[in-house]
Amino acid sequence: MPSELTEAIVGMREDEALAIVKRELDAGTDPAAVLEDAKEAMSVLGKRFECGDAFIPELIMGGEIMKGIAAEVAPHLKAATSATTRGSVVIGTVAGDIHDIGKDIVVLMLDVNGYDVHDLGVDVPVEKFVAAIREVQPRIVGLSGLLTLAFDSMKATVDGIAAAGLRDQVKIMVGGAPADAQVQSYTGADGWGNDVGQALRLAEQWTGGGA
Amino acid sequence: MSSTGEELYKQREQRFNDIVALRRPDRVPIVPHVIHYFATKVKGISNRDAGYDHKLHYDAIKEATIRFGWDFTPTNGMFAADGYEALGTTQLRWPGGDLADDASFQFVEGEYMKADEYDEFLADPNGFTLTRIFPRIAGNLEGLGQVPFPPLYWLANTYYLMNVGGPLLAAPPVRKALESLLAMSDAVAGYFAADAANAQEMAALGYPRTWGAPIIPAFDMVSDMFRSLRGSTLDMYRHPEQLLKTIDLVQQGQIALAMMVMQVTGNPRVFIPMHRGAGGFMSDEQFETFYWPSFKGLVMAIIEAGGVPSPLFEGDYTPRLRYLAEFPAGKVAGHFDKVDRKVFKEVLGDKMCFWGNVPVSILCTGTPRQVKDDVKELVDLFGDTGALMLDSGLGVPDEARPENMLALREAADEFGVF
Repeated sequence: MPSELTEAIVGMREDEALAIVKRELDAGTDPAAVLEDAKEAMSVLGKRFECGDAFIPELIMGGEIMKGIAAEVAPHLKAATSATTRGSVVIGTVAGDIHDIGKDIVVLMLDVNGYDVHDLGVDVPVEKFVAAIREVQPRIVGLSGLLTLAFDSMKATVDGIAAAGLRDQVKIMVGGAPADAQVQSYTGADGWGNDVGQALRLAEQWTGGGA
Repeated sequence: MSSTGEELYKQREQRFNDIVALRRPDRVPIVPHVIHYFATKVKGISNRDAGYDHKLHYDAIKEATIRFGWDFTPTNGMFAADGYEALGTTQLRWPGGDLADDASFQFVEGEYMKADEYDEFLADPNGFTLTRIFPRIAGNLEGLGQVPFPPLYWLANTYYLMNVGGPLLAAPPVRKALESLLAMSDAVAGYFAADAANAQEMAALGYPRTWGAPIIPAFDMVSDMFRSLRGSTLDMYRHPEQLLKTIDLVQQGQIALAMMVMQVTGNPRVFIPMHRGAGGFMSDEQFETFYWPSFKGLVMAIIEAGGVPSPLFEGDYTPRLRYLAEFPAGKVAGHFDKVDRKVFKEVLGDKMCFWGNVPVSILCTGTPRQVKDDVKELVDLFGDTGALMLDSGLGVPDEARPENMLALREAADEFGVF
């Protein structure tokens, strides 16, 4: 049964969602629970996106409402909650490519779906991916790119991860508008996606359905 | 123009026009839509040099057109890097600017107009562009935002023009901006000289140029150039009225510009780059409200003026095909990136020719066999009407393998002669 807050966010009613948050906080509701309801809304939006019932605007607007709610809730949180995560993800746009719109949406949705996301930004050199994998020990690595030059950068990154002896520890997804099975096979990745729905599905699959 | 070249040129134009008009052609042509670095890359020329040495770049495009057996010569999608430099633009990054010599130029999307500035823009779009947008897109134009410009009509007489305008133009930040604009203009003049010489040379050799100039649909203009994807998306919820008013205003300009470029370039084909209307980017309801009316208006205006709208539908347009069926049959040269070709055939097969769609990934990372198989599949699907033109989904990919581009020609000859 979705809460009033979840329904307001899913319905893209920003003012109403923020009013509910204020009311709940004033009434002494656990701020962590408020945040959970908001995250639940994003999860619903992600699932709707996967089914083709929601689109990028809902994810962006939902993320924006989330940001507003997080700002409201933050002063009320006593200490950082140590939620259990579904696994770590290291993600970035590969070397030579500075596009970040798609990657940022994937980062947002992985985050609200309970993954611990380490976003390395754009134009990320191979060594930076390798160093981050050593440090974070993620289960999943996401390589994003929009330009055709990203195909070779993605391949070089996968090769670099293998050369560093880390290939067996991670599942690698390549994503972005031009990604397809051909690109996956060329780069030696484990999966590919054109949109956030495919990224979420792969992540879920690779972490054992959310274990 | 030699008679052979002239004949070839006419044949190729006629074949293109026949296909667009859904008249069966003699064969399937390769019509590369747009080109960036491919032609120079295969010659070992750096992306940096391709951006600065315009003649070098155009000569490479000529060579590639002949070597790879294209029926049209693709339009150069790159602009003058020396012009970017003159402006000190911050809206683009390019090889020779702050990117490596072998990097590709890239557009820096940003909120060049803020959400709370719609009313200011709508009240005075010209003044806003001069004093707000220019300083935000180019470092050397920052001075235009530092000087209090009066409304231009204040200067509508000789006395005020001299006594208000004169001192204003003497202000050092304004001077710097004006000099930078003139330097940009010089750079662009060099670029256009090379461009015109290439068009003439290619025409003499028998190759029409694919299109004359790009006209961006009104929504994409607002989203790409003013508000960014994020900004324009949030505006659909937070500022829908202002967004729609701005789209209406921009639409008038885009239609006027389309008429102008057809006249200036003498090329009836107008490239319409399609970005934010693709499937997934908005709901049908949002598409119908914010995107479709102005895009349809632009296409219809070009058709009515005797031009050939050539939209390049980036992303997956399969969910939008039913809208495109509203266009008059045989008038639009639609170029497709990732559309489902079988669904296209069902929905639009008797309305619009099919152009593009050979996967960029295969051309860049696949084998000649894969290219040929893909072309065969296309010809099998569209060969009954012949309403087919070959190209990748996005024009000539920078990283396409030369052997795959040659395979495209071989496949067109092997499967595409009726």
